[in-house]
Amino acid sequence: MASLSFTVFADSSSSGNILKADMLFGPDDNLDPAYKYTGWYLHEAGIYETLFSLDEDMNLVPTLATGYDQVSDTEYRINLRDDVTFHDGTPLDADAVVYSLQRVMDSSNSRHGELDFIASVQAADDKTVVINTKQPHSPTIATLVDPLFSIVKPDVNLNTTPVGTGPFKFESFEKGVSLSVVRNDDYWGEKAKLNGAVLYFVSDSMTRAMQLEGGDVDIARGLPQSEVAGLKENQDLEILSMETMRENLIYVNMNKAPFNDISVRQALSYAINRQEIVDTALEGIGGVPAIGVFTSENPWSANDELVAYEHDPARAKELLESAGITDEDGDGWLDFQGAPFNITIKTYTSRAENKPSAEVVASQLEDIGIKCGVEILDSGALSSVLSDGDYDLALYSWSTGTTGDPDYFFSKHFESTGAEAKKTGYSNANVDEWLAKARATFDDKERAEYYNKVQEQVHKDCPEIYLFYLNELAGANKRVKGYKLYPSSEINLLTPELSIEG
Amino acid sequence: MLSFLLRRLLLLLPVLLLVSIISFFLFYLSPGDPAEVLLTGPQGPPDLKAVEEFRAREGFNDPAPVMYVRWLSKVVRGDLGYSFTSGEKVSDAVFSSFLPTLRLSLISLFISLLISIPMGILSAVRRGSAIDGLGLSLSLLGVSVPNFWLAYLLIILFALRLDILPVAGYGDGGDIEHMILPALTLGISAAAVTGRMMRTSMLEVMEQDYIVAARARGLTERSVVLRHALRNALLPVVTMVGLNFTYLLNGSAVVETVFAWPGIGSLMTRSIYCRDYPVILGCMLFLSLLTISLNLLTDVCYRYCNPRLIHETGS
Repeated sequence: MASLSFTVFADSSSSGNILKADMLFGPDDNLDPAYKYTGWYLHEAGIYETLFSLDEDMNLVPTLATGYDQVSDTEYRINLRDDVTFHDGTPLDADAVVYSLQRVMDSSNSRHGELDFIASVQAADDKTVVINTKQPHSPTIATLVDPLFSIVKPDVNLNTTPVGTGPFKFESFEKGVSLSVVRNDDYWGEKAKLNGAVLYFVSDSMTRAMQLEGGDVDIARGLPQSEVAGLKENQDLEILSMETMRENLIYVNMNKAPFNDISVRQALSYAINRQEIVDTALEGIGGVPAIGVFTSENPWSANDELVAYEHDPARAKELLESAGITDEDGDGWLDFQGAPFNITIKTYTSRAENKPSAEVVASQLEDIGIKCGVEILDSGALSSVLSDGDYDLALYSWSTGTTGDPDYFFSKHFESTGAEAKKTGYSNANVDEWLAKARATFDDKERAEYYNKVQEQVHKDCPEIYLFYLNELAGANKRVKGYKLYPSSEINLLTPELSIEG
Repeated sequence: MLSFLLRRLLLLLPVLLLVSIISFFLFYLSPGDPAEVLLTGPQGPPDLKAVEEFRAREGFNDPAPVMYVRWLSKVVRGDLGYSFTSGEKVSDAVFSSFLPTLRLSLISLFISLLISIPMGILSAVRRGSAIDGLGLSLSLLGVSVPNFWLAYLLIILFALRLDILPVAGYGDGGDIEHMILPALTLGISAAAVTGRMMRTSMLEVMEQDYIVAARARGLTERSVVLRHALRNALLPVVTMVGLNFTYLLNGSAVVETVFAWPGIGSLMTRSIYCRDYPVILGCMLFLSLLTISLNLLTDVCYRYCNPRLIHETGS
């Protein structure tokens, strides 16, 4: 990648309509959107589009499709827009869509498992694609939101030359440094206001903040919480904050006594003061205290119907006592079956908020008499430790779903066969049944009823304790107009509305 | 000299083998399933089936010695394999990230010499003076201040307050404008060590009889210091500079991360985080080879500069 054309960079001083933005992550080397999560970054850059996408309120909207007809429980006919051309001028047709989906289903793709439910993808005619699923599978259309299913031009080398349909065209890429795009003048929708953009990949959050402050970039994503107050005082900058789909949660090891006791798990949830975590570990701005598994911003959230675990140390102690956890030897610390009741919270640090959050939780548990420590592992090691069942509590950070469909997160975390449910040891026959039924139901209202039941049940059972929904903190120079954050901000940045004044 | 070179070159092989064994098994013994780590995306934990497929495809289910031998047999044929994360050839990945580090290292080394040599000489010649005190405190500060903190200070001063340099980034293929601050950060810490070395060595030499003799011959102080003392005082400094350069070439992960410099230090950090072991092993092998070669080069330089050494060992 030593060869680079930096014409965009050089032009920026003269034309002034090139946006520069700092990103946290970027493609590794390969630019194929079907390669791991590369599609996310190229979707973010406005190069590729999907058949359907989520708007800023998390509603599913057709993008390259005009809509779909569900012919039967297992057959979907997706109608394509007829005014779309690829960046090289060839029109979008059903064959290109079939190609784009089928290559992900190929067993050589590391994420092909996510499409296991599909039996076949075919072109019915030039503008219609038919998807058949093996079983009734209601998340089918929502799955297509993931930029893994970016619609690509067949027969080009996608590793080095992305050819998509988005508002921006690929210009150049320098590994570990930057990705440059220019406006697509033949875009089917509203044309981009910017002439182009350069996305820089900067892993250090302080550096991003300083680059924004110094005017090196117009937009910086992922600002450190500690710097936000200072940046807000800068008249030239605007700081944006938005609740995202990402949340921090604690896995409880239900395979280990006394955590197999529901009272103990509920007691832990009552002992935690979520507002205090947000106020201290997140400096009051990094997140919103959690109620249930989904943020209230998610249309599938049942938070309105859940009774939040308010901070209630007395209640927590009561519940612990009912589970036989009391101060037996009078040393001021709680004991369980004759031994001190000690808890270790294991977590990892590649997400900056994990360690401080775990420390605050530990001190809150100590307040009700539980000796509690924090142990830091690297994320890979932590995952193994959890699979081996060698933990009490583990603090994690996950996205609850980029596709917007609840099945993605629920089937992994609450269905007995789910990889994460195996780590907590959660298994509930009712939940399994509701999830299976919801997958086979196409009426969104009916599905919502099942998912509400699931949310209520896991809220009661506490296999996982939700701490807070993470805020995305981004900063922009006030010259930037039309910049907004999406709940699924990890896949959206360059949109046609974005512009720079002056 | 030739047999010395040959002996040292032969030593390369066992050292490299040892490095490869140690790094391979350190990697293997560290907890966590690389397949799982690699397949964990920004979205969430990976599909268990995908993890199993990956393990089977990459031969992760074999015992460690089998994996090692398989890897080694390829390496011997010059094939370092492919990166698990990006799919690119390891040799390409290592080489393309080494170039930015090399550029940065050369400038850093230059800056460190520019600061340390005059500072060391001046401190030694004016021993006990205010200049000496300043030099000593500066070098103490330079050694003790953590790199990343110095980096932030320099950014705040030059990029934010004075606004004469960019904050960070690689710019137009690593242009000089973007290189100054990271090079200064690295250069200052390297200079601190070299400067002290220069001063000590200079002080030692200045007490030698031949300096007294030179003075007695009526040479100017300038000529005594620069022509007679400096040449001899530089010898131990050559070793130090060699070590410094090796250290710089290994890529400072911290400085490269702060300045978003796409060097080998940040490649290593990234690869370690995602358990991209072909890349980690590739980097380790390359850097060990580089370190050993530079040490050898330093020794050769040393012998060349100091013929006494050859006579003493009689070779």
